[in-house]
Amino acid sequence: MSPRPYVEVTDLRKVFDVSKPWLNRVIERSPKQFLKAVDGVSFDIKKGETFALVGESGSGKSTVAKMVVGLLGVSGGEVTIDNISMTDPAQRAQRAKLRRKMQMIFQDPYASLNPRWRVDRIIAEPIRAFNVVEGEANIVARVGELLTLVGLHPDDGRKFPHEFSGGQRQRVAIARALASNADFIVCDEPTSALDVSVQAQILNLMRDLQEKFGLTYLFISHNLAVVRHMATRIGVMYLGRLVEVSEAKEMFSHPRHPYTRMLLDAVPDLAMSGRARIPVAGEIPNPINPPSGCTFHPRCPLVNERCRAENPLPINGVACHAVVEGRTLLMPVPA
Amino acid sequence: MSDPVISVRNLQVEFVTRRATLRAIDGVSFDIAKGEVLGVVGESGAGKSVTGAAIIGLIEPPGRISGGEILLNGRRIDNLPPEEMRKIRGRKVAMIFQDPLTSLNPLFRVGEQLVETIRTHLPMNERQARDRAIELLTEVGIPAPEKRIDGYPHEFSGGMRQRVVIALALCAEPDFIVADEPTTALDVSVQAQIISLIKKLGRERGMAVMLVTHDMGVIAETADRVAVMYAGRVAEIGPVRDVVQRPMHPYAKGLMGAIPTLEAATDRLVQIPGSMPRLSSIPRGCAFNPRCGEAFARCFVDQPVPLPVAGRHVACHLYETVETVR
Repeated sequence: MSPRPYVEVTDLRKVFDVSKPWLNRVIERSPKQFLKAVDGVSFDIKKGETFALVGESGSGKSTVAKMVVGLLGVSGGEVTIDNISMTDPAQRAQRAKLRRKMQMIFQDPYASLNPRWRVDRIIAEPIRAFNVVEGEANIVARVGELLTLVGLHPDDGRKFPHEFSGGQRQRVAIARALASNADFIVCDEPTSALDVSVQAQILNLMRDLQEKFGLTYLFISHNLAVVRHMATRIGVMYLGRLVEVSEAKEMFSHPRHPYTRMLLDAVPDLAMSGRARIPVAGEIPNPINPPSGCTFHPRCPLVNERCRAENPLPINGVACHAVVEGRTLLMPVPA
Repeated sequence: MSDPVISVRNLQVEFVTRRATLRAIDGVSFDIAKGEVLGVVGESGAGKSVTGAAIIGLIEPPGRISGGEILLNGRRIDNLPPEEMRKIRGRKVAMIFQDPLTSLNPLFRVGEQLVETIRTHLPMNERQARDRAIELLTEVGIPAPEKRIDGYPHEFSGGMRQRVVIALALCAEPDFIVADEPTTALDVSVQAQIISLIKKLGRERGMAVMLVTHDMGVIAETADRVAVMYAGRVAEIGPVRDVVQRPMHPYAKGLMGAIPTLEAATDRLVQIPGSMPRLSSIPRGCAFNPRCGEAFARCFVDQPVPLPVAGRHVACHLYETVETVR
C-alpha cells in the first residue's frame, strides 16, 4: 500500500453568513443569506511536492489555504496533516506539535511583517515560540544562518522592514517561515505583489529551498505561468469547487475541464506563436447566488440540460458531465 | 509613415524634495502614430506612469517637467497654461486608470458621468448626449446598455466597470489615450477581454494608444511597438516582435528571461541580481551597470543614448559600433 499522503483534504466546506442585520431581515422579510466560499473540496499533497491551487478572484483558493493551516475554522469536511487531524477537537494536543511544522507566506510583504520590529526579532519569534534552539547566542546564530539562506546578510537583521525592498521583505517572510524548521509551507500568492525580475528571484529561491529541505508547498496563485513553473500537481478552482486536479504537465498539454481550457486560452501569448485560442466569454458569477447544476454552465461552450440541473462530481480528477460523456469532441480544437 | 499623433522629445521630469532634486524621467523620447499602440513596460519605479502623467499634464508639484517637449499633432502641449491644458485633456487626450473603482464617482449613475463628460467637450443637449452614451456603452461591450446606463458603479463587476471607464475616455473621441495598467486589477479571463477591446478600439478609431503595464504578456498581445524603461530611461524601443523575442539590451534580456511562460518549461528562471536603484542613488553612466553582467569601463562613465540597432533603438554601449557613434 502506498504511504498516506502528507496532507489530506476531504470534502472541505466553508459557509459564510452574509445575511443582513437581524432588524433588516425582520422588516424586509428577507431570509438569511449564505455564501458557500468552499464547497466540497478534496485533494491530497504528497511529501516534497508542490500542489498549486489556481482560480480567479472569489474562487475560494485563499479560503482553502487558511482552513488548511487552521487560520479559519471549517464548516465541514476534514483536513489531515501528517496523520494528525486539523479539525478533530480530540486531537488538540497532537496538533500543537504539528504547528511548528507548518508555516505560511502571505501575498503582501508590506503587511505581513511588523513594521516596529527589527528583522532579527521577526525571524527569531518562531524560534523562541517553539523553543527550536536554546540560548540567546544560538538564536542569534540561527537567525544569521536563516538570513544567509534566503540571500540576505546576517547584518540585515538589525534593520527594520521599511528599509528593505518588496523582494527582500518576501525573503524575510520566507526566512521566518523556515525558522521553526517547518516542512509544510502554505504560500498564498507569494509573488503577486512583486516585479517580474524579483519574482524570478523569489521563485528560484523557493525551489532551491524545497530541494534542500524537502519542503512541501501548497501554492496559491492566479498566475498560470507561475504555477506551471512551480507545481507538481495543480487543482483548478471555480466558485468554491475544485473542477480539475491534474499533474502539472498533463494539465498544460491536455486540459480537460472546459474552464481550464478557457483559463489557459486567456493567458497572453508571450511567444507570439499565434496559437489559436478560444476567446473568453463572461465573468465569474456572484457566489451568493451561484448558477444551478454545474456552476460553470452559463460560460461553458459544451453546456446541455444535464449541466444546468445536476452538479457534476469529480471523476478521475475532473468534475464535468461533458468530459465524462465524451462530449468534449464538440469543442473547437485549437490548431 | 504619417506624422505622429504624439511626439515626446527628450522628456525630463524632476521631483523637488527637501534633500535633493530627484530625476524620475531622464531623456525619454518616442513617437506614437495614428492607430498605433505603444507599450511601455518596466518594473515599479521605472517611470512609466510618470511619463504617461507628464503627457496628459497631470504631474503634480513637487514634480515638474524640467526639460524636453511634448507635441500633440505637431503642437507643443507641455508648456500650456493649466486652463488650456484642461480643454485638451479629455477632448484630445484621455486616460484610463488602473483601478476602475476609484476613477468613477460612486455617488453618480454611470450615465450621468458619461453625459457630463460628453457635454463638457461636445456641443450636445442632454438627449443627444444620452444617446451617445448608450452608443459608447454598446461599443465597449456592455450588455443591455439602455438599462445599465442608469446603474451605479458598484452595481457593475470589475471588468464591466473598466469597460465603463474606457467608454468615459472615448466620450470626446480623443486622438490619444494613455492606458495606465488597465488590466492589472482584473482576473485573467476578464483581462483578455479588455485587452482585445482596447486593441480593437484603437484600430477602428485610429487613436494613438500608450499602454503602460508591467505585464509583458499584455504588451505582446496588444502593442505594435514597445519601450522597455529602466530607472527613468528608455533601455530599448522597437517593434514588439523584435523586442519580446530577441531583446538586445541586457536588462530587456533579463526581463524576458525572468517571465515564467506557458510554452517553455524551464527549471530555473533567468534572474537579474539586485533591484532597481532608488531615484536618489542612480549610478553614474548607465543606470543598469551594477546589475549588468556585461558592463565594462565605459558603462560606469558615459550614459548611453538610444541608437538604432537591428530595426530598433537600444541604449547600451555594447551595441555602439563605429558607424553609430559617428
